[in-house]
Amino acid sequence: MTERVGRAWLLLGPALAVLAALFALPAILLFAVSFWEVRSFRLSPALSLAAWAGIWRDYAGLAAYTVGIGLAVSALTTMLGLAFALAVRFAVRQGDRLMIAVLITLFGGYLVKIYAWKSILGADGLLNQALIALGLTGAPLQALIYSRGAVIVALVHFLLPFAILPLYAGLRNVSDTAIEAARDLGASRAAILWRVVLPQVRGGLFAAIAFTFLLAAGDYVTPMLLGGPGGTMLGQFVLLEFSTNFDWPAGAALSYALLGSCLAVLAVLAAVVFGAGRQP
Amino acid sequence: MTAADRAGLSAMADRAGLSAGADRAGLSAGADGAGLSAGADGAGLSAGADGAGLSAGAAAAVAPLLRLDGVSKSYGTMTAVAPVDLSVAAGEFCAILGPSGCGKSTLLRIVAGLVAPSTGRIRIAGEDVTQLGAERRPTNMVFQSYGLFPHMTVAQNVGFGLSLRRLPPAEISARVAEALALVQLDGFGARMIDRLSGGQQQRVALARALILRPKVLLLDEPLSALDLKLRHQMQEEIRRIHAETGGTFLFVTHDQGEAFALASRVVVMNGGRIEQQGTPEEVYRRPATRFVAGFVGEASYLSGRRSGGVVALGAGPRFAAPGPDAGVTAMIRPERLRIAPGGLPARVADVQFLGPTTLVLARLPGGEVLRAALGDPQPGLSAGDEVRLAWDPSDVWVLDD
Repeated sequence: MTERVGRAWLLLGPALAVLAALFALPAILLFAVSFWEVRSFRLSPALSLAAWAGIWRDYAGLAAYTVGIGLAVSALTTMLGLAFALAVRFAVRQGDRLMIAVLITLFGGYLVKIYAWKSILGADGLLNQALIALGLTGAPLQALIYSRGAVIVALVHFLLPFAILPLYAGLRNVSDTAIEAARDLGASRAAILWRVVLPQVRGGLFAAIAFTFLLAAGDYVTPMLLGGPGGTMLGQFVLLEFSTNFDWPAGAALSYALLGSCLAVLAVLAAVVFGAGRQP
Repeated sequence: MTAADRAGLSAMADRAGLSAGADRAGLSAGADGAGLSAGADGAGLSAGADGAGLSAGAAAAVAPLLRLDGVSKSYGTMTAVAPVDLSVAAGEFCAILGPSGCGKSTLLRIVAGLVAPSTGRIRIAGEDVTQLGAERRPTNMVFQSYGLFPHMTVAQNVGFGLSLRRLPPAEISARVAEALALVQLDGFGARMIDRLSGGQQQRVALARALILRPKVLLLDEPLSALDLKLRHQMQEEIRRIHAETGGTFLFVTHDQGEAFALASRVVVMNGGRIEQQGTPEEVYRRPATRFVAGFVGEASYLSGRRSGGVVALGAGPRFAAPGPDAGVTAMIRPERLRIAPGGLPARVADVQFLGPTTLVLARLPGGEVLRAALGDPQPGLSAGDEVRLAWDPSDVWVLDD
């Protein structure tokens, strides 16, 4: 028994040590910093709520907007991913090859995808050239890039594999016989989806929603490069507070505020996903 | 040759059942197999070509509840089911029996509407359902791997079909309770599926299919996942449920014992075709083909030749058995053989004690092997001994080669 426990710790130990040293410890430190003070560019330990009060005053609206963008991206990505995963699981013969293709797109760098969208949506980008060539517009549309829409499109593109993979993993566990049985008992396609398939992939569905929501709401590079003035998100201001403003307490408080709101939203989403359709 | 002709012929053959005096081996004419095998040759037997059996008259008297006409299924160049005609009467318990890959499950799935046939028509209670999907057919299926919904309770599984039909909850729960009582699972409604044993899951699958009162209940090897003892218990359960509900059951199995125990009619399939259909006794005692003879049980096969209506076996015995002049094989089931002073001499090759019977393998001087399942204990009998094996004239069945 003790030998087994020892072996388990041996296996867990290295990863736990890395996580503790490089994630847990800095996270705790960061939380502490949010109560510190900055005086004449010097960070000093304190027990002050000034940073928290300040970010509530300055950033409440932007936080709501950021969570909103996260939800929109998550909803879009999860729906597209669900459609894709359903097709791969039930409608396509060589589904596994498609899944390998999905995995490969994950290897393409994150920044590469953003710059790809820059060259597609830019003033002399592919899309504008195509629109002009087709005679649909005389001058390039400036609003394509540096907008909320550009941020959402790029994030959906980047996050799609994060939705597809857990959904597909969940769908693989749904037995074909159960689906045939539902059909045999009179279930329409819609009834099979809502009452037999989706309830069995609640875990994968929540993972897809959570991944895409957290990564979208926490992103700051995409809005920085594609968002323009109208598409800024909270993450950019975390960066701003830490760098330009040298206000570490504000940056730390802002990080935790964003984290807290995201977890609260996830708790609600979890209640919806795991509670919906359950009969007493 | 019509069914009536064949009936006449076999009756004639029975009347001709006389001891072949000379050898005094107690051999006699079996019924004529020629007619039956000719009928089974083509695209399978239709209801009318049921053979001379007792079920033929009964099945023909009422319009069949389920009727397949020329139903086939091919995948590319591979033929899973050759054109098949099959009729099942209301209230009948019909088993489709065959080895794996013979097309029996595909045929059942075609009846269910889960597989579209390549050709042919399916009618249920006179209505052509060929174009209807599984969700709109008056059939329900018990699947081999059950296909229960793991995220639902027993009651939700059983009530699934009714809740799709938007019945009032009170009626659903009443009918669920009734269905659970029928399969002896009262009080299990609130359990989750993974808390049930295999046998209990089997019962849930049965209740879930029966609750919709299907015109035809389809069972696809439902007992194959159960251990032997449980399987026998469930066989009795299914017989009882068939009797209690008065439903029409179509049952697919590769286990001849199961088919015989459950069904009033057995349809033997091989290579996508129906080889024979009849009562279990007909199929067992008067198989239409060598395949059927071998698939539904063990037997001894003795080759011979028929000329002028008299069969002469290579092993010696001669007896009358009408039919064309040709090479024939005489089949005798092991339990019909007995040790008797006037029998054919043979040398014991092996003795196996099987419990209820003792199996004796004995080699005839010509090299052919007789398999005898002897009911009485055989103390002292061992390999190398000489025995004399005899059989009743009516226990020989002649198959044309």
